[in-house]
Amino acid sequence: MATLTADRKRALRTELEGMLGRGAVLSDPDELLVYESDGLTLFRALADFVVFPQSAEHVSAVVKLAHREGLPFVARGAGTGLSGGCLPAEGGIVLSLMRMNRVLEVDYDNQLAVVEPGLVNLHLSWKVGPKGYYYAPDPSSQQACTIGGNIANNSGGPHTLKYGVTTNHVLGLEVVMPDGEIVWLGGKTRESQGYDLIGVFVGSEGTFGIATKIVVRILKKPQAVKTVLAVFDEVDQASAAVSEIIARGLVPAAVEMIDQLTIGAVEDAFGCGYPRDAAAALLVELDGLAIGIETQAERIVAACRDSGAREVRTAKDEAERQLLWKGRKSAFGAYGRVSPAYMVMDGVIPRTRLPYVLRRVNEIVDAHGLRVGNVFHAGDGNLHPNILYDPRKPGEEARVVAAGAEIMKVCAEVGGSISGEHGIGLEKADFMPFIFSAADLALMQRLKHAFNPQGLCNPGKVFPTRKSCGEAGAVAYRPHAIEEQGLAQRF
Amino acid sequence: MSAVASRSVAAALRSVTAADRVRDERAALETFAVDAIVPRWVARPVSVDELAAVMTVAAEERLIVAPRGSGSALDLGAPPARLDLVVDLSGLDAIVEHNADDLTVTVQAGRSLHALNRYLLAHRQFLPLDPPGEAHTVGGTAAAGLSGPLRFRYGTMRDLLLGVRFVQADGVVTWGGSKVVKSVTGYDVPKLMVGALGTLGVLGELTLRLHSLPEAERTWLVAVPSAAAAQALVASILDSTLQPNRIELNDHTLGAADAPLAVLVSFGSVMEAVVEQGERLARLARDAGGEARAVSGEWTTASDRVAGDRRTTLRVGSLPARLRSTFETLRRALGRIAGARSTLGAHTGLGLWRVTIDGATPEAIATAVAWLRDAVAEHGGYVVVTGGPVAVRRRVDPWGPIAPDALALMRAIKTTFDPDARLNPGRFVSGL
Repeated sequence: MATLTADRKRALRTELEGMLGRGAVLSDPDELLVYESDGLTLFRALADFVVFPQSAEHVSAVVKLAHREGLPFVARGAGTGLSGGCLPAEGGIVLSLMRMNRVLEVDYDNQLAVVEPGLVNLHLSWKVGPKGYYYAPDPSSQQACTIGGNIANNSGGPHTLKYGVTTNHVLGLEVVMPDGEIVWLGGKTRESQGYDLIGVFVGSEGTFGIATKIVVRILKKPQAVKTVLAVFDEVDQASAAVSEIIARGLVPAAVEMIDQLTIGAVEDAFGCGYPRDAAAALLVELDGLAIGIETQAERIVAACRDSGAREVRTAKDEAERQLLWKGRKSAFGAYGRVSPAYMVMDGVIPRTRLPYVLRRVNEIVDAHGLRVGNVFHAGDGNLHPNILYDPRKPGEEARVVAAGAEIMKVCAEVGGSISGEHGIGLEKADFMPFIFSAADLALMQRLKHAFNPQGLCNPGKVFPTRKSCGEAGAVAYRPHAIEEQGLAQRF
Repeated sequence: MSAVASRSVAAALRSVTAADRVRDERAALETFAVDAIVPRWVARPVSVDELAAVMTVAAEERLIVAPRGSGSALDLGAPPARLDLVVDLSGLDAIVEHNADDLTVTVQAGRSLHALNRYLLAHRQFLPLDPPGEAHTVGGTAAAGLSGPLRFRYGTMRDLLLGVRFVQADGVVTWGGSKVVKSVTGYDVPKLMVGALGTLGVLGELTLRLHSLPEAERTWLVAVPSAAAAQALVASILDSTLQPNRIELNDHTLGAADAPLAVLVSFGSVMEAVVEQGERLARLARDAGGEARAVSGEWTTASDRVAGDRRTTLRVGSLPARLRSTFETLRRALGRIAGARSTLGAHTGLGLWRVTIDGATPEAIATAVAWLRDAVAEHGGYVVVTGGPVAVRRRVDPWGPIAPDALALMRAIKTTFDPDARLNPGRFVSGL
């Protein structure tokens, strides 16, 4: 990528300001620094410009300019991603969509909403909550992450076990294509004719274009919720209980596992009521009709007890339930109590292989002389091993990256996936061959080319490249400055 | 192609399958005709590798290929532009891997949906897809994007297909998606294959998410006096905390002949929850001026049952809250077709309608469809001709117009997967 001359950069800045207005364009290196990475600080890159469009027309104008100038560009939501997916290429334009954060329409009769991409996930549920509705996909970062970012990553969350991931909730998209044209895919009705462009766009990690309007389903809130905490003396027992719940055909809304190390961190930080001496705990949530929920809860309790749970209890009220969930959803932040840094993995495995894979994860991390905390969507088989380390100790980061690669390999070997919800981004691009053949990858490359023929829209992501091979293992994985000051946390 | 060349293609196909699995005699070929266009060869591979080998021969010989499952949805789409080779997938009918405790299954594309669900019954599991008809294969259900009433609760193939092994136009075996219930590794290629009518590749194996069969299930029929009453009832169900499996609007062949419309609702759960929901439904029904009564689950509507070559079926996309106006629009459109017998049904919780027209001329149907398309387009609705005589589908574009910018993307995708346009050309949207 040719570096812009100072003169050219000034001229482009003037042009961008003409499009978007003053105060909507950043090009000062100090200001750009904020946008040099996402929730995964392993990778950093500086853009030439960060811009703040307020409409699809703004986005289109910026993209057309980038296209004309041959500048790479990438859309960015809240920057909570965990795979480096919204990093700029070195240089180019970052389009922050945070000023496009309106709920444009709520149609309760047809159970849908039209929103802008910069809307924070949880804010949609807040908006429709008073009428008894909510937006189902609930990433742990939902207080900060945006729905546009969720579209890019096809985000999940604890309750996607029962309700599906983002793609199952999107009906229509207005997209600014990589050449700047504005296209509608789908709409408000179910199904549209021709290829499922929405299906393939969601989860394309920002490489197919930029969604500027999003039509999502909203769901009626369940009548009743019941949350069960099961406590185990051995991790294997907790794993077996997960398999047992799924195999018995029970359909909880969420089944989350949290291990001893994580419990310790969470209890230190928040005191949520998890027993510190447990090897692992399962947080199982049932929702639906008030009637029948007791019967289902009894079966969950039985499945846990049959697997060796030493204690199984039900949250006695909403306050206790919220506290248990706070522990789960804040676990990543709590690791700060026990380690200066950590790296989160995102593999998925068949749920029946949980006991084996968790043992292997512990063996791998042990062998590298590291520690791991596990807190994850057990019901989906979506692991989140968090490898703890100290970036100031020479060589430790390299060991973390090596252990991570081995864990991903185990996930692939048991027939799983290397990412369940965080995306491939930069982080896992080199590991795609664990899952896909050269022919599979070549087809996906051609598919990308169909949407993004110039390759300017979020380049360097998803697919293995020589550049990312060179970076992996060599670049430091450091806590961000604001993390060190305790001002922010990874999700 | 000369007779000699034709024989050499047959020989090449036989060499990669078996002598008795390639047909080239006229009588056999006629039974595999698509819209009266008779192929030159039919090959019946029995493994994905054989399928790949057949497709490689087809690529070398530049043959126009139509994949076929059970042949039950061959009248979906426009008549083919040309046809050389039918790839009969009925021999690919194995269950490759059933991970019962993970609720996933991998099946070959030619497995019948009913046969799969019969097998799964012993595990108290099922693939919750219920398109009308007995014969559909799993691969055909995916390629044709077929669904039924259960989609209200479980979604469609789009929501259930986790991974797909398919053969590209050039014979290369390709995998997309994953074998686990959650994955964002790589682009979601499986979604692209659903409803693509075999125009992007030939499906070989599908990995699917399964569900547990509900312990108890009951169906209630609510006879309502008008479309307005039906709309009020459906709105009240949707805005309640009830969790139906299905919400259907049906014609009056299910015992409610005195009422113009019947809303059918089923619940599946533990027994106490099913019973209680039935009671709540009964109250909602009374509020809407109807009466709920338990019926045996019968989800095949009259429109699904009307058989015969002259029947034309439509799918009309609308919105749940437009039930009444869509109903009136459909009535008006169908009323314009002289001498036709028509039936209506809807996945009314989702705003998707099914129409059957029998006994009308292609001209009359074309006029009605054109009028209907204009009428529903105003609210983002659409009309697809999902089946019918070839004469109708020659006169009406079955898919209807596609927005030019979206179509440009679809063309780019088609070119990516099938650059020589040899997979089912002409049958999909806008001649793709």
